[in-house]
Amino acid sequence: MSNDVIIEVRGLEKEFPGVRALKGVDFDIKRGTVHCVVGENGAGKSTFIKILTGAHRRTGGSLKFNGNDFDPKSIREAMNAGISVLYQELNVVDDLTTEENLTLGKEKSKFGFIQKSDGLGKMMDIIRSLDDSIELDMPVDILSVAQKQVIEIAKALSTDCSVLVMDEPTASLSEDEVRRLFLTVKKLKEQGITIIFISHKLSEIFEIGDYVTVFRDGEMTGTKSVPEIAGYEDALGCPDTFDDKTITDACTELVRLMIGKVIDQAYIASESDYSQKLLEVKNVSNHRLHDINFDLYKGEILGFYGLVGAGKTEVGRFLYGIDNYEGDIFVNGEKCDYKNVIGALEQGFAMVPEERRVDGIFGQLPIRANIPMMRMDSVLSSGLISRIKENKLADKFMKMMSVAAKDREQAVAFLSGGNQQKVVIAKCLNRDADIIMLDEPTRGVDVGAKEEIHDIIRGLANEGKSIIVFSSELPEITHLCDRIVLMYDGSIGEIVKNKKDIDIDHIMNIVAGG
Amino acid sequence: MTGKLKLPRFRSQLPILVGIIVFMMIVLTIISPNFLKVQNFSNILLKIGIYILIASAANLIMITGNLDLSVGAVLAFSGILHAYMCKHGVPIPLSILITCIAAMGWGVFNGFIVGKLRIVPVVATLGTMYIAEGFAFLIARWDGGTNIMLGLPGAYTRLGRYMMFGKIPVIIVFVVIVAAIFLFIEKKTKLGRFSYAIGDNRSAAELSGINVTKVIIILYALSALLAGFSGILQSSRVGLAAPNVGRMMETYVLIVCVLGGTKMSGGKGSIIGVLLGAAIIGLLENGLNLLGIDHFYQEVARGLILIIAVLAQKSSGNGRN
Repeated sequence: MSNDVIIEVRGLEKEFPGVRALKGVDFDIKRGTVHCVVGENGAGKSTFIKILTGAHRRTGGSLKFNGNDFDPKSIREAMNAGISVLYQELNVVDDLTTEENLTLGKEKSKFGFIQKSDGLGKMMDIIRSLDDSIELDMPVDILSVAQKQVIEIAKALSTDCSVLVMDEPTASLSEDEVRRLFLTVKKLKEQGITIIFISHKLSEIFEIGDYVTVFRDGEMTGTKSVPEIAGYEDALGCPDTFDDKTITDACTELVRLMIGKVIDQAYIASESDYSQKLLEVKNVSNHRLHDINFDLYKGEILGFYGLVGAGKTEVGRFLYGIDNYEGDIFVNGEKCDYKNVIGALEQGFAMVPEERRVDGIFGQLPIRANIPMMRMDSVLSSGLISRIKENKLADKFMKMMSVAAKDREQAVAFLSGGNQQKVVIAKCLNRDADIIMLDEPTRGVDVGAKEEIHDIIRGLANEGKSIIVFSSELPEITHLCDRIVLMYDGSIGEIVKNKKDIDIDHIMNIVAGG
Repeated sequence: MTGKLKLPRFRSQLPILVGIIVFMMIVLTIISPNFLKVQNFSNILLKIGIYILIASAANLIMITGNLDLSVGAVLAFSGILHAYMCKHGVPIPLSILITCIAAMGWGVFNGFIVGKLRIVPVVATLGTMYIAEGFAFLIARWDGGTNIMLGLPGAYTRLGRYMMFGKIPVIIVFVVIVAAIFLFIEKKTKLGRFSYAIGDNRSAAELSGINVTKVIIILYALSALLAGFSGILQSSRVGLAAPNVGRMMETYVLIVCVLGGTKMSGGKGSIIGVLLGAAIIGLLENGLNLLGIDHFYQEVARGLILIIAVLAQKSSGNGRN
């Protein structure tokens, strides 16, 4: 294994209007290695990949590929230079055979009839070297996801590719298929191909990675060799496989790099009434969750924390009647059997969804029309919508949440992100539910509005509402929540009680799989 | 950032529509001496009256981001069914009631496949269109002909030809009533508010606890009811029912709604827009007729207007999504 640098990143910057997605990043990627890239959502790793593969242009710094300056203007240009991507969403056409998929877009035709393609033999050789169970005439829809990935890899490699970017390739694979993919990755490495591997599953890094780079808030917070992360001085004394303890400790170290120093924001306990249990979830499992057990008391703020993909949002989804589940939910001691959102609302749940644009706001409608949407009764008088009541309601919430808008007639789409979020929260609060779930309540919200939203949440708890907050921001969780449910890989690792000087290291250890 | 061509932005496009109507009326007054006559206006109103009756409900469907292409076929089916029953001894008021219920049946069917089974509305209502028209032909066949005219009771045309106060055609009366009802639905009822919400953001509507399927079924039922009632009125006015009278009706209705500012993707539109859109279409057809322009040029003009209306909507850029 030669150890020269194939990609050299120096002071790389990318600025979008209003956002600095990359703030000067430096690191090297060595030839013929598997280089992992990790970071939470919005940390900058996708931006880096997009610049490398020609989807975005950099706005500062330099990027060298094989020693030459590299600034691809398009994905095709990057591909011709030798950098290909295996996307999370596969581009195979299920109705065609392997052969037809391989030659798709490269067909040679004579008088309109398709001829055999030249590159086919080469691609077939690649496929055989990776997975010899795939035949040319197999329809692609009978292949597994991992086999489809092999076809995509073969297509990528047929254009003399020297760097292959794999974007969360294991996200939709079964355990078995992950093994097969890793075998493929190892074979590609033997053939001298450099692989950039993006994954949210940290433990995978210790199986196939040589190096790992961690992104946080647009910065590179660490580039280390895998043995180094695992606590070995150099590669020589390092075993081929690590034991579980080593991996967990190393994952905790990575999480620390991903999350950074948690600024200690004073936690103020809510006036929870621990004699009144409002919600109890027992042995709930579904396609994404395993054996979820927790309870929620009156006036309590319960936080769910975990890395991306740990299953926070999925907990909200089954509670709100969106996803199916097996197990039991008890509200006020009585077993519930609602099966949809309407049922969940009637049972006393209300939710502020994670993606406000997709699931929260009615953008073309005025603020006034958005707020009563979850409980129209609040603006009806003898069965009809009363403009007077609507205006009053809108004024009340706009004042309470200090929504910055021209007037209550302004279409919500034209508000800033923070104000949109306040409207979505107002809509949910107007429901007057007993159990209020907020999924990423302050994502994409500026600092001032964040503080205001936190105050509102705490105010609700003190009024006796029970709150569940799902957040991927640890400071938000430790600031707000009375108890914290730590999730890892679809399961609850531990439920900890919050206190002024809570052990952050311990939290990081749990969400890393410890 | 949609290029350099930018049209002036209005909060709504209603003032523009009124402007167009005034302009068209001035031009037509100048070029045709027959335009400003009571008889001519009465002709225009009779023609667009049916469009408005149907479009008022179809417009709400479009506001939810869906579409009803079966209105013309349901109109024809209802005319035939009504004529058939009247001819074979069913009392006229009872026949009207049964026909309206049958028409609503098509709407509930549409609403079920679009709202519950989530079939694309264009395909679903196109299917209903063929089925309903097929049944219209079938009923005419039972009667022994291609259309039903001979043997209808004398009172059959009484409703359609009724003049209120001796001079206002009954269809105009119904247009006023229906438009008022839909203005009310839009502004004052949950049904209206939920229609806008669903068209604006269906996912958010579902997560807010709105019963989207129910709203869609009700709207399709209303649309079919009005199409059916229009079929009864029309067949009663002309004193005959034919299974192919509703052809192209769905496109007129579509043009009227789009001209009136209803967004095809949903979330925006109003009954006032429908009235103005219908007026434009009525004036256009009337003007071309008065000028003696061939029928096929009129078709060309209609097609162009539809495309221009959609383009105008696009460049006026309502909302950010």
